[in-house]
Amino acid sequence: MVRARGLVVLTVAIMVAVACGNTGGGGGGGSKGTIKIGSDFPVCTTGGQSTSNGVKFAVDQKNAAGGVEGFNIAYQSFDDCRQGSYNADAGVANVRQMLDDSAFMGMIGPYNSAVAKAEIPIAAPKNFVMISPANTNPCLTKDIASCSTAYHPQDLRAGNPNNYWRVVTTDDYQGPAMADYMYKQANIKTVAILDDSTVFGVGISGAFEDEFKKLGGTVVKHQEYKKDQQGTQFQSLLQSMHTASALYVGGTDDQNICIPRAQMKQIGWTAPFGGGDGIETTDCIDQASGNETGILATSAGADATQVPGAKDTIAKFRQAFTGANDFGGYTMQAYDAANILMTAIGNAIKANGGSMPTRKQVRDAMAKITTFQGVIGNYGFDQNGDTTLKIVSIYEVKTGLSDTDVKASTGVCGKKLANACFVWKTQFDFAKSS
Amino acid sequence: MRSGASALTRFRSIALGGMSLADYGFYILCATAVVLLLAEAVRDTTNFAQTLVFGLTQGAIFALIALGYTMVYGIIELINFAHGDVFTLSAYIGTTILGLFTVTEGSFTALNLVALVIIFPVVMLIMGGINVAIERIAYRPLRSAPRLAPLITAIGMSFFLEGVMFLWKGPATVHFPNILPQWTTTVGGVFFGLKDIFVIITAAILVALLAFFINRTRLGKAMRATAQDRDAAQLMGIDINRTIAATFFIGALLAGAGGVIYGLYYNTVYYQLGFRTGLIAFTAAVFGGIGNIPGAAIGGLIIGLTAAFSDSYIGGKWTTVVIFGILIGVLVFRPTGLLGMRVPEK
Repeated sequence: MVRARGLVVLTVAIMVAVACGNTGGGGGGGSKGTIKIGSDFPVCTTGGQSTSNGVKFAVDQKNAAGGVEGFNIAYQSFDDCRQGSYNADAGVANVRQMLDDSAFMGMIGPYNSAVAKAEIPIAAPKNFVMISPANTNPCLTKDIASCSTAYHPQDLRAGNPNNYWRVVTTDDYQGPAMADYMYKQANIKTVAILDDSTVFGVGISGAFEDEFKKLGGTVVKHQEYKKDQQGTQFQSLLQSMHTASALYVGGTDDQNICIPRAQMKQIGWTAPFGGGDGIETTDCIDQASGNETGILATSAGADATQVPGAKDTIAKFRQAFTGANDFGGYTMQAYDAANILMTAIGNAIKANGGSMPTRKQVRDAMAKITTFQGVIGNYGFDQNGDTTLKIVSIYEVKTGLSDTDVKASTGVCGKKLANACFVWKTQFDFAKSS
Repeated sequence: MRSGASALTRFRSIALGGMSLADYGFYILCATAVVLLLAEAVRDTTNFAQTLVFGLTQGAIFALIALGYTMVYGIIELINFAHGDVFTLSAYIGTTILGLFTVTEGSFTALNLVALVIIFPVVMLIMGGINVAIERIAYRPLRSAPRLAPLITAIGMSFFLEGVMFLWKGPATVHFPNILPQWTTTVGGVFFGLKDIFVIITAAILVALLAFFINRTRLGKAMRATAQDRDAAQLMGIDINRTIAATFFIGALLAGAGGVIYGLYYNTVYYQLGFRTGLIAFTAAVFGGIGNIPGAAIGGLIIGLTAAFSDSYIGGKWTTVVIFGILIGVLVFRPTGLLGMRVPEK
């Protein structure tokens, strides 16, 4: 009996191992061996899955072109979802799994700032390179004033050399971009703010509030809620804010931040509704059911669809990934991040005389990358790991789009309402203005 | 423990001019709340009336769920933790059934009306069946076990139902078709629509039907008898198992209707919704006096109004604190709830 059970365990273990092996990057590539890169996203959400697609696409392309310096790249996508939304503990468990396998030379991710905050402290001592395509909390890299109430970047690294880079800019630009847009371009002078009490939501709504007040605007009310206590009943919260001429939300769709948009209509409040990149998602459009039109969202990066050089890559991506929700707001950012990591790995291999590099060599090579030609622009990184690209894009939901318009949009459309999509509206370049 | 209990009893039994000290405390608490609300009503009447509308619609839904908790507790003294998830599951089943019709969202068509007429009885009956099955599988075998055992299976059932919904439709929010007439109006600055009226009236009709059923029918009488003294009821020839199953069935009918109403009104549900909504509805049941049917309905309304006023006047992050603060206050001064407990006699 004991023996039989041992056999079952062994069989299962082999099956799992085989199954995991198959999830790696496509075949082909080099012959010198296999280098693994991982990613850590909440792939249970459309946002996380479409971002993971970008990494997979980059790795597949690289392997088809012969791999990196003779090495084949195997990609494994880790999921940090627990019960339907991102979870920092799950992210930490994923990173530990990568750290335990010496073939992993770096990772793309995470998607959520709160997860990065938990992961950097365990990855930094091991010189494990992390490149996030989506983290926007400034305190992960920069010790700005508001970090004193959250956390400091140097504490996350605990004296180790920096192991964390990101290809998007930060909330201290994202929040102000929407404030600038609302106050200057949309001529809105009073706003109300609602945040979901998460690290991200509080941070971005605070940055928005500071900038909006600095411009001379009035914040009528700043309300907070918690998903597990609020349910989906927002009318009374909205009622206390409805004298404002716009609503800014700091939060993410998995915290139900777009349900208030649907309920604004139920309480007869017609006003612009804007938020950060946490609402530039399919789930947000679905939550806003009946009141989708005109949702405004920022994204802390240049829009790949607006960069002439990216057209070709996006077209090729769409041939490889044909699902309606396969392409998202961070797919091309993830594509770039993966290519940057593979460039660093390539440089490290060269520096190591063509053989398998160490993680420290990859980290050092990564720190030396000062310019990179990506699909979202040409950029480099400062010593904190932040991109020199300080572009924030603004998107708006348009409904009733034709099929060609849907294809020309960001591709972030409703599941129920497939012709309601986020469309690029404008962008702010803070590198130029400052 | 003993001395604490007797101190509390002593405190409650101190009489002053015909009323106990605890009663004074309770009335002072109520009066303070009323005065504060009246001040707001005078300060900004429109805002007050508008919040009142939201509170009533919220409260009507809480009341429907609270009835299920209170009926079950009244008859077998079980806190049926799975009840909130039965409520959510009915919204999930409702949206699936509506998916079979080609309903028009955002406007009202004849087909919408047909779908509306069909969906209520169908979902309610399905949920009734599911809840009877839950009772049969998870609670009945443990009826003579220590009280903690069925409480744990109830929690287990709750997670089980959440798991089923998670696996069925995934973790993201689930859309519920918006098929009610979109008509809205403004009366004296207060904005409301047919949706609000629909929720309140449907809930009122269901509560009235329940009251009629409990007070005027044979089965209702059997339920009251079982709730009062199970052994005596059994000696009188009442089939206890059947009566308890009927209680679960009716509780689920109301939760089923509540789930569909919730979906039709808010148009978005998610698999964990039942946890929070159920907890608040249970609070409403305790608030009104556990086991007391009119108490649960009134408790639901009061909790709904409290949540709305707190969201609007105090701030969303304080709402849970306010609701449970009031609950603690009420229970300290009046442990049997607003209208008194009705639980089996020992």
